Amino acid sequence: MSSGGLELVAHEVSVQFEGLKALSEVTLAVPRGRITGLIGPNGAGKTTLINVLTGFQSAGTGSVALEGQAVNGIAAHKLRRMGVARTFQSGRLFRDLPVIDNLEVTGVGLGQRRRDAIAEAQRVMAWLGISHLAGMIAGALPYTDERRVAIGRAIMCTPRYLLLDEPAAGMSEHESHDLAVIIRRIAAELGIGVLLIEHNIGLVLELCERIFVLDSGEIIEVGSPTQIRNSDAVRHAYMGTQQDELLPVEEAVAS
Amino acid sequence: MSKPHSVIRQTITTPIVLIVVLLAMAALTYAFGSRAFNRTAIEMFINIMVVVGLYAFVGNSGLLSFGHISFMCLGAYMTAWLAIPPVMKSITLKGLPGWLLHTQLPMWVATPISGVFAALFALIVGRIIMRLSGIAASIATFGLLGVVNNVYSNWDTVTGGQGSIVGIPPTMNVWIGWLGAAVAIVIAYLYSISRSGLALRATRDEAVAASASGVDIVRERLIAFVVSAFIIGLAGALYGHFLSIVNPGSFYLRTTFITLSMLVVGGMYSLSGAVSGVVAMSVLIELFRNLEKGVSLGGVTVGLPNGVQEIAIGIITIIILIYLPTGLTRNREFSWRGWPLQRRLAPSVQTALKEIN
Repeated sequence: MSSGGLELVAHEVSVQFEGLKALSEVTLAVPRGRITGLIGPNGAGKTTLINVLTGFQSAGTGSVALEGQAVNGIAAHKLRRMGVARTFQSGRLFRDLPVIDNLEVTGVGLGQRRRDAIAEAQRVMAWLGISHLAGMIAGALPYTDERRVAIGRAIMCTPRYLLLDEPAAGMSEHESHDLAVIIRRIAAELGIGVLLIEHNIGLVLELCERIFVLDSGEIIEVGSPTQIRNSDAVRHAYMGTQQDELLPVEEAVAS
Repeated sequence: MSKPHSVIRQTITTPIVLIVVLLAMAALTYAFGSRAFNRTAIEMFINIMVVVGLYAFVGNSGLLSFGHISFMCLGAYMTAWLAIPPVMKSITLKGLPGWLLHTQLPMWVATPISGVFAALFALIVGRIIMRLSGIAASIATFGLLGVVNNVYSNWDTVTGGQGSIVGIPPTMNVWIGWLGAAVAIVIAYLYSISRSGLALRATRDEAVAASASGVDIVRERLIAFVVSAFIIGLAGALYGHFLSIVNPGSFYLRTTFITLSMLVVGGMYSLSGAVSGVVAMSVLIELFRNLEKGVSLGGVTVGLPNGVQEIAIGIITIIILIYLPTGLTRNREFSWRGWPLQRRLAPSVQTALKEIN
């Protein structure tokens, strides 16, 4: 795994919380313009890994590199200015602010004047097809719109990488299909490297070129969707299921 | 539905409405008010400056500050040092450096210098305090209030200690009070529509997400802290000119809590809330002050016992906060269309908001 290419890389990253090993020697790469998946059961350390990659959590040991440049210990807001964006599991919109201001904040945070940030916010909302939400207060939005606004906020000024933390949680099949279309466009049209963390494994298998499987803080499998589908390591370790049981993966694919 | 690109054009009505309404109050007071009523009005205008200054920090950052009255103290004492005639200073404030001892500046020069002094002080202490969040930040600001009060109460040769320093030229009138309030409103308004103001309101709602949006939280908080200290420093300077004496006791707990409750009663997240909170509370205070003095009913003067004022205001504040927890303005801004109307809200959202509340 080269560290000089157009990739966001975690190299042998370990994180410990008061004795509890959240991540041990995790190595993962997110290439530009592609969609990479990260799956694993609850508590596997997926969000911790996102936090490390976006500067919200410092790596105990190991390193994080952004296109060859070491970015260990760089504050989150600075990493965003360098082009590493993320969304949150819980949405975390600025709930008292109108939707357009939610997006505008990123423009302003990245150094734009308000006028330019508003123009950029309008462009991004049009691109995502959420222009009609502009004047609504973010706290009053329905769940799925909230997710789209969060993505809009993250792709303001076109970052180099986008880390999506469970963007489809709580969505219907139809809604997650719409989301899949947006994620594809983000990678293909904007050339952004996407890391998709999801419990909706069908979505991950459908979208991602390469999938990392994390369990108890360790990467137990890496591969294409087909490899992941057929992996014994995933079968045994990922969900704790027996060999003769149907995996959730297969259920999702079958449906 | 096309949006106007200018933020100013969309929001400018709020400060205009506020300043015009206050101008009308100043004019009525000047035309019909007694001397005592004029003084009440000036005091209200100075309180508007303080509370608007508080709003610039508290309203945008969401951090409650108990320390801002120390900036009023700094401003008032700086004005005392600059504006008291050298003859008087050389007797009471022997510890002042020579150049300051022999200076006497007019109010319109001393006041901005006092504001800048308070702002510089805020810049220094803010670099440390603004790293804290939530209750820790509030407690640190409370510590700041205590430290400043202690220094000004005990540095006898420079501040006159616990006693009062007299001799600031009493040049305040209701027009200057109005002008001060207008300046405070304009500065707070310009800050809140600035890039920093928007970024800071984002940190108020979701600090973590604001960092993920590239916002440097400590820096934006510090900017607001300095801007609000400047406004309150100006207020302190005008307060010195108003009373013509300063003593450290006027810039301590009582003032801190009265101004904070004015802000909360009005609605701490809006500029209109800051101003209307002061007006409403000032009217109440004046009303009860008169009731305590007594009302004559058919030859018999009936008055409330002293101290009822404080109790009644406490109770009324509680009642307001029970029924209007977001303050009299419900954190909205005044504008021409409707009264008051929230900015940029589609009618459907207003209905939705009502359902939520």
